[in-house]
Amino acid sequence: MQEVIIKTENLEKVYDMGKHKVTALDGIDIEIYRGEFLAIMGPSGSGKSTLMHILGCLDTPTGGDYILEDREVSKLKKRQLATVRNQKIGFVFQTFNLLPHLNILKNVELPLMYCGVPHAKRKKRAIEILEQVGLGDRLKHKPSELSGGQRQRVAIARAIVNEPAIILADEPTGNLDTNSGSDILSIFSELHHKGNTIIMVTHDQRVAGSANRIIHIIDGKITNGDIA
Amino acid sequence: MAISLRESVIVGLSDLWIRKVRTVVTVLGIVLGTMSIIVVLSLVKGVNKMTEQWLQERGGATKISVHRNWEYNRENNERWYFDFKELRLIESLIPEALYFNPQFNQWQWYRAFYNGKEFWAPVMGVFPDFTKIEEWDVQKGRFLNNFDLDAYNDVIVIGTTVRDELFGNENPIGKYIYVMDRKFQVIGIMRHRYMKARNQIGDDNALEYLNRRCFVPLSTVLHKVSNENRVQSFDVKLRDVSQVIPFKDKLDAILLNLRHGHQIFTVESAKERIDQSSQDTMVFKIVFIMISSISLFVGGIVITNIMLATIQERTREIGIRMATGARRFDIFVQFLVQTVLTTLIGGILGVMLGISILGKVSSFIDMEVVVDVKMIVLAVIISAGVGLVFGIAPAIHASNLNPVKALRYE
Repeated sequence: MQEVIIKTENLEKVYDMGKHKVTALDGIDIEIYRGEFLAIMGPSGSGKSTLMHILGCLDTPTGGDYILEDREVSKLKKRQLATVRNQKIGFVFQTFNLLPHLNILKNVELPLMYCGVPHAKRKKRAIEILEQVGLGDRLKHKPSELSGGQRQRVAIARAIVNEPAIILADEPTGNLDTNSGSDILSIFSELHHKGNTIIMVTHDQRVAGSANRIIHIIDGKITNGDIA
Repeated sequence: MAISLRESVIVGLSDLWIRKVRTVVTVLGIVLGTMSIIVVLSLVKGVNKMTEQWLQERGGATKISVHRNWEYNRENNERWYFDFKELRLIESLIPEALYFNPQFNQWQWYRAFYNGKEFWAPVMGVFPDFTKIEEWDVQKGRFLNNFDLDAYNDVIVIGTTVRDELFGNENPIGKYIYVMDRKFQVIGIMRHRYMKARNQIGDDNALEYLNRRCFVPLSTVLHKVSNENRVQSFDVKLRDVSQVIPFKDKLDAILLNLRHGHQIFTVESAKERIDQSSQDTMVFKIVFIMISSISLFVGGIVITNIMLATIQERTREIGIRMATGARRFDIFVQFLVQTVLTTLIGGILGVMLGISILGKVSSFIDMEVVVDVKMIVLAVIISAGVGLVFGIAPAIHASNLNPVKALRYE
């Protein structure tokens, strides 16, 4: 039996827009197992990004429970959420979200800096990871000096440098051409084979080939949860 | 496990370096503020030092002078001068005085003749202690001594200007000059006195008037030259500054007793004049510090504004940092440190600018300025303090950003 790493019960997110309320998530029940590669699909405005933000501890639900590795995350304070983000979660965004003024080495060091790893150790670890994603010779380059695919590889390196429990990817291939996109997807597959838990929001049908399971969300509800 | 201060400083410095032009513009107010603090403090210190130096040249802080009280309305017949007997009496009543020197006719000028040449000079009758009280001795020959005083000798000590005017290159020691219709033998030449004058109108030597003086034994003047036996003033020197105030009170009491309670003489101490002068400059100092503070305050508001704009511009970056695990406190520290670094740089620039223009200011107004480490440290601390105070609001704003909204910010 596989270990449950994420469990949500009746997760709700309601935005109070003053006059009327907007329900983004309407009772999400989901169980995600360690080592799983889960794809979340759905049209825009379906609530998949909101789910992603809550799973990533960037946002808090307005109702329901979220348990990450046996911890009741929905009850944590902001300071504790930051620590969870730092140590349990690695983000990969559609728009890369690298700091433009820092070279890629410094970008990858960022999560290590926020958990207090000493400078030398941090640098060594970041170089190691950048070599893994094939950018060992570009350490001093700024993100603007790299191609989209390379930037996304930097972002992946940053996401996994702290050895998080889950990797959350939000449309990681959305801004990439087909070749770079497949390139990135194969890195995710590789990470999955190494035992990482990956949750990916995507439109990309090719992901279906790599993911264990696909969840469809429409209007804040899960419509299926079949194992692919 | 927070980000360390060292880390914040490194991050802050590189941020400032990336936005060099903005950094410079931001700190302009702080630069001007700290610059004016340095300039004003140095000028005030310079004025005080000059006053002190002047008083030091005139006998130092332990000197006490007694002279006629010109404000006293003389209705009764109390004498406004001392005779020789009274002077000896006062001297015996103040054994704690290190030196005692009465002076005769400080304000009267006499014609001195030598070999057909003449020179108008103020001639003073003094005690041998004169050299000790004024800290001014002969450069050649000797000064008057107790024997001269007791024997009413006709001897004279002259200033360097008197020597130049009457003798030129000739050696005056042992020569005779005529003053006050008597023949005096020159026994010494006083050391030349010089102090750079504040303004260069006329003579540039503020102490030139001293070089024009001649000194003879007080007893000679009182008993042989003048029939009047009048001494209007005397000076006393004490061992220690702490004695000044009690001694002054005691001397006041003695003088009041001698003149039956009438305030005919005033007792003045150099120390009080030093205190008075630093009190005067204090007012000046306070006013200018207030003006500098306004400049710093305006500079601080500018910094708050620019930091808020910077944070808006960097909203996305803040979101990214939060997503990778930065706590609110980390973000707060990052921006606060950056603001403090900005103002610190401004402060250091201001100090450097202040010091560099002080040289020009001091030569322009022809005054010495004093820069010390204490005021530099003070100015730098103040500038960092401005950053700390005016950086708090932007830093709180940055740390309170919502991570989701910050990440989506375009």
